[in-house]
Amino acid sequence: MDLLRRFSLGEIDAFETLVRQFQGDIYAWIVRIVRDPGIAEELTVETLWHIYRARQQFRPGGNFAAWARRIGTNLALDHLRRNRPEQRLLTEPAGATQPDHLLQQETRKKIQQAFRRLPATLQVAATLALVEEQPYEEIADALGTSVGAVKLRVFRAVRILRKQLNHLGVRS
Amino acid sequence: MNEYDDRQIREALKRSYPPINIELGGDLWPAVLRKLDTRPARVPWYDWVLISLSASVLLFFPDLILVFAYHL
Repeated sequence: MDLLRRFSLGEIDAFETLVRQFQGDIYAWIVRIVRDPGIAEELTVETLWHIYRARQQFRPGGNFAAWARRIGTNLALDHLRRNRPEQRLLTEPAGATQPDHLLQQETRKKIQQAFRRLPATLQVAATLALVEEQPYEEIADALGTSVGAVKLRVFRAVRILRKQLNHLGVRS
Repeated sequence: MNEYDDRQIREALKRSYPPINIELGGDLWPAVLRKLDTRPARVPWYDWVLISLSASVLLFFPDLILVFAYHL
């Protein structure tokens, strides 16, 4: 009997083999989204736990890596939703009298802050597509949506971000 | 300094988020196993019996609700 079938029947040894085989991939995907190694480890454990609990829903002929990635993405999305930053943004304009490196640091901070305030689904799509440069097909698969929908989310994220940064007076 | 256009937003985002290490530090199997072993707290059978008895008494003698309410 193959590994995935044994896993779907609840064999713990088969699950252990799958964990050892895929934990690195799942972690790598989640850390790209949440960008915090500690939180990514916790979410990876949570993902693997969910995977085991949902093992009967997995079709042994299916793509385990893609299924695991989708579960991990959903948990990462939940984490981002639960940990959205305060609504208030720094409103003072980027200091014109500061030295260049401080100005750049402040600009970077404001961009990150504005980015974290985006709706979680837009944030994840934009992080994976623009910052991590992952293929759109993989992002769509992990989010359980189409490539067109991912492109639309990235487009919307960029537009919102542009509006917020221009509103804050952050200039390129 | 100009207002951002879409292309600049993409570049600014990349600059604002430096590459992150995606290598997993260690084996997560022990942590997964610990989590799998953790069972949710179970209500013992005698608590269910007590709950059922209380519910039955209140169902058959609804006036008792007023007595309890008076003493609360």
